[in-house]
Amino acid sequence: MEIRGVQIDDTFAEAFGMRGVRIIITAKNEKWARESASKLTGFATSVIACKCEAAVERELTPSETPDGRPGISVLLFTMDSDSLPKRVIERIGQTVLTCPTTACFDGLPDLPDRIAIGKPLRTFGDGFQASKMIGGQRYWRVPVMEGEFLIQETFGKAKGVGGGNFLILAESAEAALDAAEAAVGAMSGMPGVILPFPGGIVRSGSKVGAKKYKGMIASTNDAFAPTLRAIAQTSLPAGVNSVLEIVLDGLDFRSIAKAMQMGIDAACREGVRSITAGNYGGKLGPYHFHLRKIMSGDLDDAPKADAPKPAAAT
Amino acid sequence: MSDRITLTLRSPLERALDADAIAPDRFAGLGSQEISALPLWDGRNSVALGDVFAVNGERSQTVALEGDLTRLNGVGTMMAGGTLEIHGSIGNAVGARMRGGAIRVQGSAGDDAGSAMAGGSLVIAGDARDRVGGALQGASKGMTGGDIIVRGSAGRECGARMRRGILYCTSVGAGAGLGMIAGNIIVSAAIGDGAGVGNKRGTIVALGGIMVPPTYAYACTYRPPHLSLMLLYLRSHYALSLDDAQLHGLFKRYSGDLAEIGKGEILEWQAT
Repeated sequence: MEIRGVQIDDTFAEAFGMRGVRIIITAKNEKWARESASKLTGFATSVIACKCEAAVERELTPSETPDGRPGISVLLFTMDSDSLPKRVIERIGQTVLTCPTTACFDGLPDLPDRIAIGKPLRTFGDGFQASKMIGGQRYWRVPVMEGEFLIQETFGKAKGVGGGNFLILAESAEAALDAAEAAVGAMSGMPGVILPFPGGIVRSGSKVGAKKYKGMIASTNDAFAPTLRAIAQTSLPAGVNSVLEIVLDGLDFRSIAKAMQMGIDAACREGVRSITAGNYGGKLGPYHFHLRKIMSGDLDDAPKADAPKPAAAT
Repeated sequence: MSDRITLTLRSPLERALDADAIAPDRFAGLGSQEISALPLWDGRNSVALGDVFAVNGERSQTVALEGDLTRLNGVGTMMAGGTLEIHGSIGNAVGARMRGGAIRVQGSAGDDAGSAMAGGSLVIAGDARDRVGGALQGASKGMTGGDIIVRGSAGRECGARMRRGILYCTSVGAGAGLGMIAGNIIVSAAIGDGAGVGNKRGTIVALGGIMVPPTYAYACTYRPPHLSLMLLYLRSHYALSLDDAQLHGLFKRYSGDLAEIGKGEILEWQAT
């Protein structure tokens, strides 16, 4: 398969199950919502070292937020259910509670599986906190020096998918970056999906473990490193001098597949030789995103097992 | 099964009747004959519902009442679901102890509307008399959940001893929130004297001015974040005319009642 002269490899991206929340941050204006969201999602590129993966999903207009103020929607994922509340609580506690004018709401209110977030954070109020029930949901008012911080008591916990990916194999580093930026531009703001790496792009795609250093969780993907073409088992076609990767996490399979379709299409441009994907022979995760099926419009390729139910949108 | 059950008053009531049998969730499984046989109470004497109302429809959780119902008391008592539409005014204790569902009164309501209510919504298009959302006689707690909306004015002691829930009125008489334990009273216009006396943890929101009792102390002027949420909820769910200046405006916060534990508050909107 070729799109505008770019080959789409007959392979698949292999993804795994994650657990996630959608955090809605509102503030007096877009500036302060962004300030808080950028801190909340800082150092959250990969579970390998960050314990969680998080990024801005999209910006919200006042008509889309619970309190009628400008907002930001953030998705945060962890590898397991147990660590999810801990990561969310520590990040909201340090980056949203502390940020002027913000309030914090659950973006998955219809999910029955709930985790307590505002409930433990309320204790910052040292007994002066107060709760309010509004529309069947409990909110905590935590007194702070600025005034009050408002946070919802519980957040919906979603079964998500992590590790959707594709690799852009290009003739030059400039062409790879241009294509990757175009892909990120096409995928940004799509519901239910985040790109947790800087600018949505990864330059240091990894393989599991290491050949030389024992104990490494991950090390450089030498098969796709152009400087190692002559001395390592390379997977690079002739003429490829730079590779960039896009990694996606999402609330469900279809959201990721749709974003990959948009992103790959945007990346098929001059200077790109081919698009491929990272997989581990099907051993890592049950979710397989077959590039050619996706680019043919088949977005419902069922995962092998444990298919997550689509998460409700706000 | 019908889309709705309509109860039409056969003739004007000469005496007050206790009609706590009329609740839509209880009608869901009843045929028209069974509904007609339900008892209404005139003191210690019962009268069949079918003798008082013409019953049209069966097995539905949507019930409409028609006629001059101002002497019909206790309608919707302890209802847990369904919809009750009252085409006109209604007597005392409508929606008392209701736990769910919706009651819409197109006219006004008598005393004790929504008293000890625990859930659901009670919307009164006209006025309500005394003790809306308050406590049953001798009880320690008033409403413990749900929403009460009075688009007109409410009488004395509305929300007295309320524990939880939202009570919105355009104006209220004296003693609103008397002995309030918690919960929210929101008034868009005038508030009578003595509001919030004995308040423990409750919130009284005054959008049209208030005489703050002497046992409250001024804390600060700020934008309460929960109030944006609550007022937006009321505006979107009940089409109340609350504007953005109120949603996101400045409020004076008074803590009280300091003769009690002092964790309650009066929030007075500062129109600019």
